[in-house]
Amino acid sequence: MQASRARLFKEYKEVQREKAVDPDIQLSCDDSNIFKWTALIKGPSETPFEGGVFQLAFSVPEQYPLQPPQVRFLTKIFHPNVHFKTGEICLDILKNAWSPAWTLQSVCRAIIALMAHPEPDSPLNCDSGNLLRSGDVRGYQSMARMYTKLAAMPKKG
Amino acid sequence: MDSEEDMHDANDIESLDDDFYSGETEDAPMGFYSDYDDDADDYFDDADYSERTESSRMEQNYTVLKESDIRQRQEDDISRVSAVLSISRVASSILLRHYNWSVSKVNDAWFSNEDRVRKAVGLLDKPVVQFPNASELICGICFETHPRSWIESAACGHPYCITCWAGYIGTSINDGPGCLTLRCPDPACGAAIGQDMINLLVSSEDKEKYSRYLLRSYIEDNKKTKWCPAPGCEYAVNFDAGSGNCDVSCLCSYSFCWNCTEEAHRPVDCVTVAKWILKNSAESENMNWILANSKPCPKCKRPIEKNQGCMHMTCTPPCKFEFCWLCVGAWSDHGERTGGFYACNRYEAAKQEGVYDEAEKRREMAKNSLERYTHYYERWASNQSSRQKALADLQQMQNVHIEKLSDTQCQPESQLKFITEAWLQIVECRRVLKWTYAYGYYLPEHEHAKKQFFEYLQGEAESGLERLHQCAEKELQQFLTADGPSKEFNDFRTKLAGLTSVTRNYFENLVRALENGLSDVDSHGAACSKTTSSKNVGGSSKGRGGRGKGATLTSGSCRITDDNYWSCEHCTYANAKSDTTCQMCQQQRR
Ligand SMILES: [Zn+2]
Ligand SMILES: [Zn+2]
Ligand SMILES: [Zn+2]
Ligand SMILES: [Zn+2]
Ligand SMILES: [Zn+2]
Ligand SMILES: [Zn+2]
Ligand SMILES: [Zn+2]
Repeated sequence: MQASRARLFKEYKEVQREKAVDPDIQLSCDDSNIFKWTALIKGPSETPFEGGVFQLAFSVPEQYPLQPPQVRFLTKIFHPNVHFKTGEICLDILKNAWSPAWTLQSVCRAIIALMAHPEPDSPLNCDSGNLLRSGDVRGYQSMARMYTKLAAMPKKG
Repeated sequence: MDSEEDMHDANDIESLDDDFYSGETEDAPMGFYSDYDDDADDYFDDADYSERTESSRMEQNYTVLKESDIRQRQEDDISRVSAVLSISRVASSILLRHYNWSVSKVNDAWFSNEDRVRKAVGLLDKPVVQFPNASELICGICFETHPRSWIESAACGHPYCITCWAGYIGTSINDGPGCLTLRCPDPACGAAIGQDMINLLVSSEDKEKYSRYLLRSYIEDNKKTKWCPAPGCEYAVNFDAGSGNCDVSCLCSYSFCWNCTEEAHRPVDCVTVAKWILKNSAESENMNWILANSKPCPKCKRPIEKNQGCMHMTCTPPCKFEFCWLCVGAWSDHGERTGGFYACNRYEAAKQEGVYDEAEKRREMAKNSLERYTHYYERWASNQSSRQKALADLQQMQNVHIEKLSDTQCQPESQLKFITEAWLQIVECRRVLKWTYAYGYYLPEHEHAKKQFFEYLQGEAESGLERLHQCAEKELQQFLTADGPSKEFNDFRTKLAGLTSVTRNYFENLVRALENGLSDVDSHGAACSKTTSSKNVGGSSKGRGGRGKGATLTSGSCRITDDNYWSCEHCTYANAKSDTTCQMCQQQRR
């Protein structure tokens, strides 16, 4: 408990300092609970998520950083490795490939990379995975772009 | 008769009088014993005897390993690789584990491309990062600054404090054997964490766990070794491929098949055994059984087996609900209104409307396929339990009786080996016989000649075994309870040793035939068909092997179609057309 709190506090200070360094990620800690974090990440360019801003929720276990944080999308996203309803993410570093050297910041970077490079072979969203596996990249992109517009962009007017 | 004798001759059995087979052992003519004199003499010639067992042990193509043997071999392999490749023992252990503990594979891979191997297993030859003059370093996990002495690194040089190392390695060890391939925490690094780091950084409890995983890996990841599957046994077996025989015998006395690790099942092949075991546990078969023999209690829904003729069912406690088997209605509703307690008009009426037909037909069909299976299963299972009993008897014999017998009969224990030998033979034969029932179940129904040949051999072997078992169990009794030496003891010796030898021959015969896929059937077919007809194979249920509830393979199982059964007017039971009295209540058909 003490170790995880100390480590999260280090990350907190680092985030404050680094804010300007990575303009694509905006991490913030819950005011009353250092084990709850949220992040706003920008959809990577040249992907159907470009122009969207996606919100992630972090729940950090007491064994952190020996155990990985739990992360899910709060913003709806059409992506093979993200559960369409729950926002759960299928990413190896959040499971068996976790290393205590990762930080919440680097997890965000890994998620941005996953958005740009989906893994259709381990889908949590089968519709999305099937489009990619059948080679229908255009179909996948237009669906993903539609949901980006609907859920991840400020409403006009 | 001639050809039958041929068969015996071919297997070095003295031609035996047919009378002997049909007669009970006790009534066997004295002449019988003299037939075996030669055999018996051989048997007592100690030199000859030990040579025989020695030669069968020579063929052994496996070694049973105790924990100390395993550690020794593992150490030796590590040392060998370490010497040949000029690397540390820790590195050698990492390499061996990666190549499933095959020394030759490690050597081949290393000398064909050392760089690639180093990269694959994470053995760096120089650090990735270095801090030559730093007195303090930042730990890559807790991000705190620590004095240099608190920092440890793998070969890569990535700095982590000893507290974080302990957490990192401890978590991995408690996650399972994956800790054997642990790498540096830096995601981009991949440097291997060896046992030296483990021993330096974690609690003694975790060290012990790690070393057990390493030992287990030596057996489990190595293609030539397996753990003995007997519950509680901690020995392993090293097997050298080559010979056809896959049965291995552990020091704990459990025998198993190297291929499939099921209990030893020679002469039946692994595929048949797997099918049979699956069948025995298959839910579908279970469902058939329940379908045919039980109905759910209308109150508590547990399946209730119908084991008596009566239609009045009482559910097992605590439910104890009483109901009618035919209509599954409450028994209290029966009586005058339904046409008497032992009739159920409700069922009869509903059946005429066709309500019960489908369910009832399925029940009957399930029953027929089930009967065939039950026939083989009962015999398989009773030989199994018979073998367990014989094993216990053998142990009792070795631990208690032999010594006592030696005293009362004034015989040196070495002269009583024939008793142990007989029991060992019984145990082995029960095992073989058991598996022949699985074999029989899968023998195609249409291969009549093979089936007859098989049943002939199985019948011969089984009756030989019954005589041997009987003799070893019952006839020995009198000597165990005797106060002093008996004159008959030498006769007993001759008889038991003779039966042991004969039975061994019968079973070797059976095993050989099954392993050849019964291909000798053509040369023996004619002889067998003659004998089998006179020998009631199903009747083997008389013997110990079939001492179950009795044969379920009844001839009168009726397949219900609309016009080949009649309903008893008294109790409504559906009887086969050929029955003239009701099978349920014995009333005459009207
Ligand atoms: Zn640390
Ligand atoms: Zn490293
Ligand atoms: Zn064993
Ligand atoms: Zn097998
Ligand atoms: Zn009940
Ligand atoms: Zn009824
Ligand atoms: Zn009746």
